[in-house]
Amino acid sequence: MNPQVVATEPKKRLHPLTPLLRGGRALVVIIAALSWQTLGQVGLGWFAVMVLALLLGQVILGIVSWANTGYHVVGRELRIHEGLLWRRTRAIPLERLQSVEVVRPLLAQLTGLAELRLEVVGGGKTEAPLAFVTMPDAVALRERLLTLAGRAGTATPATPDAPAVAPIEVPIHAVTNRDLLISQLLTPQALFMPFGVAFVVVQFAFEATWSFIALASTATAMAGVLLQPVRRVLVDWNFRIARGEAGLRLRGGLLETRSQTIPVERVQGVGVTWPLLWRRKRWLRMRLDVAGFATSGGEESKAFDRLLPVGDAPTSERVLAEVLPIPTGQHSLTLTDFRLSNPPKRARWFHPLALPVIGIALTDEIVASRDGLLTRQMVIVPYARVQSVRVVQGPLQRRLRLATVYADTAGGQSAAARDRDLSEAWWLAAELARRSREARAQQTQTPQAQQPPAGLGAPTTTVPPAPPPET
Amino acid sequence: MTPREAPTDALEPWPDTVDWRPVSRDLIWVELIRVWIATAVVAAAVGFGWAVSGHWLFGVGLALIAVFTVWDAIVSVRSVRSWGYAERDHDLLVRHGLLIRRLSIVPYARMQFVDVTAGPLERMFSLATVQLHTAAAASDAKVPGLRPPEAARLRDRLTALGEDRAEGL
Repeated sequence: MNPQVVATEPKKRLHPLTPLLRGGRALVVIIAALSWQTLGQVGLGWFAVMVLALLLGQVILGIVSWANTGYHVVGRELRIHEGLLWRRTRAIPLERLQSVEVVRPLLAQLTGLAELRLEVVGGGKTEAPLAFVTMPDAVALRERLLTLAGRAGTATPATPDAPAVAPIEVPIHAVTNRDLLISQLLTPQALFMPFGVAFVVVQFAFEATWSFIALASTATAMAGVLLQPVRRVLVDWNFRIARGEAGLRLRGGLLETRSQTIPVERVQGVGVTWPLLWRRKRWLRMRLDVAGFATSGGEESKAFDRLLPVGDAPTSERVLAEVLPIPTGQHSLTLTDFRLSNPPKRARWFHPLALPVIGIALTDEIVASRDGLLTRQMVIVPYARVQSVRVVQGPLQRRLRLATVYADTAGGQSAAARDRDLSEAWWLAAELARRSREARAQQTQTPQAQQPPAGLGAPTTTVPPAPPPET
Repeated sequence: MTPREAPTDALEPWPDTVDWRPVSRDLIWVELIRVWIATAVVAAAVGFGWAVSGHWLFGVGLALIAVFTVWDAIVSVRSVRSWGYAERDHDLLVRHGLLIRRLSIVPYARMQFVDVTAGPLERMFSLATVQLHTAAAASDAKVPGLRPPEAARLRDRLTALGEDRAEGL
């Protein structure tokens, strides 16, 4: 990094090993695309040749694209240039930066490289993955981008930031791998697996006509079923939460390590889930909503939105206190504190059993809604993050004079007060609109409202002024 | 939670404080023609099938389409009447829907951008649609059936208010 040159910094290239690493990543895709059937048809030798040919093509393409890719920071923008035939320059305004993620796939870990992913509002998918750069570069660039992103109004041009200052972090929580393993064994997929295996074994024992392809395909299908729990174990391995200067820092991963930094004021909401099978353990799982991701794909989206893969209630309170505004006069935020109010009795026509579960709570700072009989879920949204309020009434609800009120957020989850009495629904809608307006107004006045508690101001580093959350 | 005495009509909350504005009645024609074109295409296909095969089921299909067209005409008239919007000090209210009734409250401060669109049918009746977008995908603030001057006025007012109170995320 050459911080002396302020106006136009020279373009930096990605690491020269990038094409090879990308090729390695493509290998899996190529093999999957060719599938077992092709292997059976053409034999191993030709299969290897086909894979190699495709791989070589991929690497050559990778080299061409690498040679034409460059990035640099201009003012308060990150610019990425790419493309040979179709030149493309993307300028990413850093004030819209929602989170930064440093991802290190296995191959990248072996070579000391990393991928930098930026989440920006408005981009449907992860914007600007910088793959791959060296680890020190990635860390330095991340700190620099976050600093620039935080320094909203004051346009002090890129000051020479001391490159090798270890970021000061306060650890909040670490998930033990044992808990993680148990929690993922306690999923429907993992529990039903033995039956599936037994079925296949029995089939195989009684009619020995199964070919290699059939067996391999069955194994692949099984692996597909198990993919989700296994993926969660791999992604959430060694999960740690810490509070850094720039925001919340989430780390984890076994084969592919990820380290995500989210400025706290970018948190749009939190989702809490109590899966049925975890209930005996009194465990829960928490998800973080940040504008920019969560809109694109469902459960399998690549976005790393886990706030807490597994934990008990005290842990969740400790973590929640970091991301959500704490009620005035209290030290923490307990999930059981919410005095949820249930829908009126006549809503039992819609939810004969779940009625006591469904509810909504308004506190001074947040709105929380709970739902789900078996898999209990709660959505917690700070008033200051409510984007719009909706009241929806279906034909059956009209019969019973009920309506549902939604508080929409940019994160994709809405807090929903389901099946409230009509007059209460109007009251709720008006109240939500009023409270969110007041919360916003308060926040623009006192930007420090959500600053982490004292004791963080490290004297050695230049702490950026508290980022005004709104631009 | 203590709801005070509140209005009771699903589409008319806070009647004393909110000044609802209707959308243009010409929107009924836009909706009707839109549906007629679609049904005409389907009816032509079914009629062709009937002519070729002569199976009685196609005749039933045509009858159903006719019934649907009539029913839809009634629904269109009423659903266009159900559209309404109101500009309050801090937010825009939009209500619509007959079967499923919806009301959206969108603060001006949350506005990301405003769309003004007018399709060929809408232009024929000189109408336009104004849509307010927030960062939340679920937000639903679309006002169809506005006269162009009104659409322009609403657009300008929304953007002006949005700039005034812009807070981004």
